[in-house]
Amino acid sequence: MFSIDMKMAWRNIWRNPRRSILTIAAVAFAGMLLVFMLSWQFGSYETMIHSAVKVHTGHLQVQARDYQRKQSIHLVVPDPAAVQNLLMASAHVTAAAGRANAFALVSSKDRTYGVRVTGIDPQREARVSTLKKLIRRGRYLTAGDVDLALVGKLLARNLKVDLDDEIVVLGQGRDGSIAATVVRVKGIFSSGQDDLDRRAMYLPLAYFQDVFNMRGAVNEVVAIADALDQVSEIKVTVAAGLKNIGKNDELVVLDWKELMPGLIEGIQMDLVGGFIFYLILIVVMAFSILNTFLMAILERKREFGVLLAIGTSHRRVTRILIFESAGMTLLGILAGVIAGSLVTLYFQAHGIHIPGSTDILRQYGLPDRIYPQLSFLSASIGPAVVLLITLLAALYPALKVWRLKPVEAMASV
Amino acid sequence: MNRPPLAAVIVYFYILVILATTGHALDARDIITTAVNYYRGNASIATMEMRIQRPAWQRVVTLKAWTRGQKNSLFTIVSPAKDQGNGTLKRGRDMWTYNPKVNRVIKIPPSMMSQAWLGSDFSNNDLAKSDSIIEDYTHTIVKTETHENQTVYVIQSIPIPQAPVVWGMQVLKIREDHILLAQEFYDEEKKLVKAMTGSRIEMLGGKRFPRVWKMQKADVEQEYTLLNYVELQFKDDLPDRFFTLSALRDPGR
Repeated sequence: MFSIDMKMAWRNIWRNPRRSILTIAAVAFAGMLLVFMLSWQFGSYETMIHSAVKVHTGHLQVQARDYQRKQSIHLVVPDPAAVQNLLMASAHVTAAAGRANAFALVSSKDRTYGVRVTGIDPQREARVSTLKKLIRRGRYLTAGDVDLALVGKLLARNLKVDLDDEIVVLGQGRDGSIAATVVRVKGIFSSGQDDLDRRAMYLPLAYFQDVFNMRGAVNEVVAIADALDQVSEIKVTVAAGLKNIGKNDELVVLDWKELMPGLIEGIQMDLVGGFIFYLILIVVMAFSILNTFLMAILERKREFGVLLAIGTSHRRVTRILIFESAGMTLLGILAGVIAGSLVTLYFQAHGIHIPGSTDILRQYGLPDRIYPQLSFLSASIGPAVVLLITLLAALYPALKVWRLKPVEAMASV
Repeated sequence: MNRPPLAAVIVYFYILVILATTGHALDARDIITTAVNYYRGNASIATMEMRIQRPAWQRVVTLKAWTRGQKNSLFTIVSPAKDQGNGTLKRGRDMWTYNPKVNRVIKIPPSMMSQAWLGSDFSNNDLAKSDSIIEDYTHTIVKTETHENQTVYVIQSIPIPQAPVVWGMQVLKIREDHILLAQEFYDEEKKLVKAMTGSRIEMLGGKRFPRVWKMQKADVEQEYTLLNYVELQFKDDLPDRFFTLSALRDPGR
């Protein structure tokens, strides 16, 4: 099954076990690192998307055209029930909820801030976002609540309010009239996303619609899909269905990428940064492999001289050398993929906590524990590139054999 | 020795004087200062109707306003009845708003001052007609036009570096009788953002004054705000009690 050349190559590898093992280890280490790092990156993106989607935007939203850009309270979904039914009709949508938003001044006894006030349907909202679980103090809203509010932790701190304290809300209603009310703090939430915790306040939807004169309308209907990769399919179905609701295509469906363009940009930037790092890693490793092979050949000039003198062709010697390097690389890659996958699987189960990184992660909306995500892609891309590069690196020394002349080669030490 | 004849000397001086005075009259900064003072008066009491026009809706609000210099102003809504009694008080850099329904006075953070006022295209700063346009910009007359047989100076105002302003450039059209006909607001890329034009120049409060002001967003035909002076009186002064927090709760007393 194995040719003589392969056997020779195999034996050559183990003639100097220490050097070969070191080379294999270098390849293995690079492979392992790449598997782990890529899984880590993909895992953190998954976490990032998941937590951002779950905290606020949802996988999909139905809005009035231009609402995403203008965020004006006048751009509404007039019949939220019809849109909710349409969304829920899709088998992959697990929950849908309407929300109404307004920018308003909120004021405590001595502080005033401009924030985004959102009206939520307490029961439906609990199924589309993590808001209910984010309540740190007090309680979540219930269906019959009237003049009660949930405020972000940082907003509560800025306003210097606590549970049951009064907050004045002053904004503009859907009809342009002045909307004003006094609410009491029922719960304080902390999402870990500073922007949300500083600038968000939630009221019961029915009460919001009353105060802001919404006439039953909402600004967005949020939907959650059972899996991220179902989103584009649902989007197409819903977009078709929306043509029958409302007039003049006034409603549009947006996916999480359109709702959070910043998130995708952040991920792309991080990916580019990652690739530059991997490229450097691979180049450094390629040079070390090149060095080992080159040394091996310079050292073994005499041996090649003898082989050539007894009639072995240059081609065959080159082939043996390439088998040698390929063998070492493959061993290294194999070891690297196995080790990398094991390490990744371990952390996939246990998560990684980097002490002191909580604040940085929080800015990106990440929980303080990151779970790498091993996939076929993350386990194969890095090692495949390493394999290609090392084979290329091994080619140069192997081709050097072509220039050897038997007599001269034998004379060298 | 040849001396120039006396007549020539007199003519020479005469020309100098003319040059000096015309040069003075054409100073862009002075034109703007006079126009702002003319517009503002020492103090004023006005009733105005504001129409906010949007593609999907429109809204008309009637307001009563008291102003004194650039520092003090008090606006209160007269109609629609639903919003009656809502008001804003501005004193220097401080601004408050009052809502009768919740019966609270709220202090507006300075960051909100350049925001839309009552949902219109005017900002709080536009209404205040502060000295910012005079102090924070350098002015050049770029051309002259005529309007109703009077000269109109078109003045380009560029902010002084580091001046605390939001605009990249403003262009003002001021008629020789000090009436501000138009004010255009440009962003940093010198792209038009919004433009204010005055029309229907009539006798108002004892002087000629544009009765209707229109603030139009650039490129959006159907989005504008019309401010129509129903009544306007200019005063030499108004007492302090018009501009207090209790006046905000119960204006005009």
